[in-house]
Amino acid sequence: MSLLNTLLPTHRAAASKDDGEPHPACRPYFEIDETDGGYGVTVYLPGVSKDGLEITDEGGELRITGKRTSNLAGGLTALHRESSDAAYELLLTHDNTVDAGNIQAELKDGVLRLTLAKAESAKPRKIAIS
Amino acid sequence: MRLINYTNPNALTVAPATGFGGRFQLGDIEDQIDWLFGTGLAGFAGAGRGGQFPVDIYEDKENTYVRAELPGVNRDAIGVEIVEGSLFIQASRKEKTGEGEGSVSFNRLVSIPEEVQADKVTAAYENGMLTVTLPKKEEAKPTKINVSVN
Repeated sequence: MSLLNTLLPTHRAAASKDDGEPHPACRPYFEIDETDGGYGVTVYLPGVSKDGLEITDEGGELRITGKRTSNLAGGLTALHRESSDAAYELLLTHDNTVDAGNIQAELKDGVLRLTLAKAESAKPRKIAIS
Repeated sequence: MRLINYTNPNALTVAPATGFGGRFQLGDIEDQIDWLFGTGLAGFAGAGRGGQFPVDIYEDKENTYVRAELPGVNRDAIGVEIVEGSLFIQASRKEKTGEGEGSVSFNRLVSIPEEVQADKVTAAYENGMLTVTLPKKEEAKPTKINVSVN
């Protein structure tokens, strides 16, 4: 497996939004594991509900954006903060070995599980000799 | 979810509360450094690998709220206990590690104000966030006294 055929996290700032405003974002904790049929990506997104989650795959870039939804009412005084209100943003690049049309996502208890299938062309195949 | 609340009647009075600042009991120095670097490198995105997890504390007139980031934890694996003026949160998450299955455990002790009605504490878990609601005692709530001026 060459390095080009893997799913890689991108370190460049993922702030290419249309309005040009800087969006404070933090990168969530995530794990990538490879299986025979594809890749599994686990992203920890505490505080993100299904409505606040956006996953796009464009030009070999898989972008995961999660906005936190607070279940607390407004008008509260913060006494101690350790978490941030910034949205989560994770950018993963892949080459065309991932079948973009066959990405499955499941969000449960703040953990996103993505299943990326390898494209047919990337799977090993046996060539018949005529 | 387990909600345990007990006090030891024979226990000596705990040290007076000096607010929340500096009252988090972070174990030994090594844990503190690990925790500091862990959150620093993760850009405060939350704990992924056991140990400490980020905690926020809020309050309003009625309640104090303790909110913890605990993604992917089974509700049965969350324990919330109130022990002598402190809130102890523990949780564990099952993870697949290669062929086998591993378990990651989290725990944290948070000092809470003395004016909490310990028997009326509730906890909710949603979207990977645990919110513990600690109702204030009646005498601790701000009261408005109308003074008639003659």
